[in-house]
Amino acid sequence: MAEEKATLRSVGRPRSVDAAQASLALLLNLVRTGAATTRQELERRSELGRAVVADRLATMIELGLLREGELGQATGGRAPRQMQFRQDAGSLLVSAIDQSSIALGIADLNGQLLVEHHEAAQLDAGPEVILDRLTTIFDWLLQETEKPAPWGIGLALPGPIEKPAADFEAVPVLQTVQSWQGFPFLDHLSMRFGVPIFARSGVQAMTMGEAKAGGGRGLSDIIYVKLGRSISAGLISEGQLHRGAQGAAGMIGHSRVGDELLGAVAGADAITREGLSAAEDGRSPYLAQTLERQGELSVVDIGHAAQLGDLFCVELLSRCGRMVGEALAPLTNLINPALIVVGGVVAESGGDSLLAGIREAVYRQSHPMVSRDLQIIRSQMGASSGLVGAAQVVVEELFAPATLQDWIGLGSPVRHPDFQKRLGRMTETMAAKAAPPAGRAAP
Amino acid sequence: MNSKAPGKTPGDTAMSISGLGPHGERAVPANQIHLTETDADQARARRFSVAVVLHTTTSDWSKQELAGIAATLGLYSAALVEVVDCNFDVELQVAALGRLEHEPVDAVISIPIGNARVAAAHRALTQSGRKLVLLDNAPTGMLPGADYASVVSTDNFGLGQSCAAMLSTHIPPDGAAGILGYGVDFFATHEREIAFRKWMGHYRPDVTLVRERFAEPEGAGPAALAMVEKTPGLSGIFAVWDVPAMKAVRALAQNGIHLPLTTVDLGNEVALDMARHGMIKGVGAQLPYDQGSAAARVTLAALLGLPVPPWVALAGREVTPSDVIEAYQVVWHLPAPKAIIDGVRSATPAQGQDEGAG
Repeated sequence: MAEEKATLRSVGRPRSVDAAQASLALLLNLVRTGAATTRQELERRSELGRAVVADRLATMIELGLLREGELGQATGGRAPRQMQFRQDAGSLLVSAIDQSSIALGIADLNGQLLVEHHEAAQLDAGPEVILDRLTTIFDWLLQETEKPAPWGIGLALPGPIEKPAADFEAVPVLQTVQSWQGFPFLDHLSMRFGVPIFARSGVQAMTMGEAKAGGGRGLSDIIYVKLGRSISAGLISEGQLHRGAQGAAGMIGHSRVGDELLGAVAGADAITREGLSAAEDGRSPYLAQTLERQGELSVVDIGHAAQLGDLFCVELLSRCGRMVGEALAPLTNLINPALIVVGGVVAESGGDSLLAGIREAVYRQSHPMVSRDLQIIRSQMGASSGLVGAAQVVVEELFAPATLQDWIGLGSPVRHPDFQKRLGRMTETMAAKAAPPAGRAAP
Repeated sequence: MNSKAPGKTPGDTAMSISGLGPHGERAVPANQIHLTETDADQARARRFSVAVVLHTTTSDWSKQELAGIAATLGLYSAALVEVVDCNFDVELQVAALGRLEHEPVDAVISIPIGNARVAAAHRALTQSGRKLVLLDNAPTGMLPGADYASVVSTDNFGLGQSCAAMLSTHIPPDGAAGILGYGVDFFATHEREIAFRKWMGHYRPDVTLVRERFAEPEGAGPAALAMVEKTPGLSGIFAVWDVPAMKAVRALAQNGIHLPLTTVDLGNEVALDMARHGMIKGVGAQLPYDQGSAAARVTLAALLGLPVPPWVALAGREVTPSDVIEAYQVVWHLPAPKAIIDGVRSATPAQGQDEGAG
């Protein structure tokens, strides 16, 4: 790395790369977020002198992070040249792993999803199987779509994700699933692609995704509720994702409804179970026919039946909606969100009856001022919200001013000194594990 | 997936839907999309106008897709007022959608060519107040509800798995299989290839996969020859749709090479080749007439303001040389051409010998 810096300095006139990281990071983020794009605006917003701004911009053009773009609006005199962030300088690999499916995508450095793929997968098949599938598809997608080399990986995983002790430190994931216990999933994936990795719980990533590209675009206070086999919620308050002390915020499925947990009475499994029972005892003629034809039922069939007007299914989904709404109402009073987005397989298939039930309970139990402009909508992003959110997580982590300062002079976060050290440690650990134990020769 | 284990003869050719939608949605089967009598009466009273934008109108697939759309719209007194042939040209599609924004049409059924490059034009069409129903795929970033009503597609993932299973029987242990892939960012062909690779990786990890890409169907012949040259012992090829598959068949035949191929779509040439027990050993067929009909029903439902599922899918149909005539009837809603029937009859005595050579 020292050599790289020396090489960089030797190009053209001398640049004060080492001493200037803070100003480089500041200017890059101003351009990247669109806060300031012309030299004049950059000087004003950064409070840096003209010569310094010119020097830093030249450095970042040389590093391939910025380019000169279109002419901007003239304010008397020549029209200024606008600086553009090179969102194609690298790519981000993103994946959202769920109980029964995986989603993968590639995003640009602005977090814009460029390509995505979804397929069925079983989490309990174990981490090796999922890891193999992820690497195979990422390799294929990178080659197929000819995207630039990755700068980071973002993952959305079921269950809470602890906050790491230090930057670039991986945390254990999915420890509640027996086959995943003790498997360094994040380390393996990070090493395989040689890039830093960042993980969030699925619901937190989906919340970020909805805020970035879904119903919550442009809003700073939203709640996202995921209704799948389990029930959880994510919160963005004043523009920031709320992760909680341990990173476990949002587990509303553990609220009590009578003697039961919300997730156990209003989750996809409970709905399917009730549907099956109604199909068997004839309370739902539609489900009885579907069961006879397919031999099994899923929550999707129950949602479809409700849309076709099957009374049992309409009532079942409204009841689940009301139970979820009752758990959301206190949160709504506490947070005063502008929007509640409801996603997950139950919401996707549950249709209007479910949404009506949620609205009924939330509006009934919220303070009038809190519910005055509150919108409650169904997510339109499906599992894509997890991918968009995971990309946004990586963007925020890589371009956080403190992190950015440490790598900007090197041109890519992959060269971040702390990450390189971490990569070295991971390689050693893996090599030690792979090596046969010393002193125990085979007989 | 489990219905397509190696060695299983696809006697019952009804496939289940194994792929997920563009946003990971679970499919609603197309045969569950119905209009009630009341809906139908309303639709007839409103006399909707619909335009269709296709990548091409010359392929067998497109002709049948259009037939399904036109017949179904007609049943509900909706007029198919324009069919645009984009000739695989992104610019042409963008221009056509831009023009349709100002035409007196209520809805547009479109198959997006490429990916992100046509997203803005499709989105703008929806913003102009027209209902948009997509065939096969939604460009990345477009969302159901806001940007389009629904995607109606064959289960391309399932088709890729089927083709892998059918080709697998022709690949010896530790052999090599080739993939003729489409070098354009196109969701349907991506899904088929990913599924083919997944099936092979799972059930035939002993098989080495090699791959060549073609940018246009014309390039499939040279690509197939290049693959054969580079890979001694190549035992079979999967081509991502029928037109390049037949280009490959011709190029290989001209060079005196006989290789088993599987592909997607039961085009006339592919059907004839199968009937004559040529190189094509199996096809995962889409049902374009049925897909067109489903797209028309979804379009009408959306126009009536009814909730429509974001992802409506149709299972494909596996076709082998032994049932090509019957499959032809199902796929094309027509009797099989005489050449195909004659081909099957004259090839039948040689079947055992041919299968052995494969």
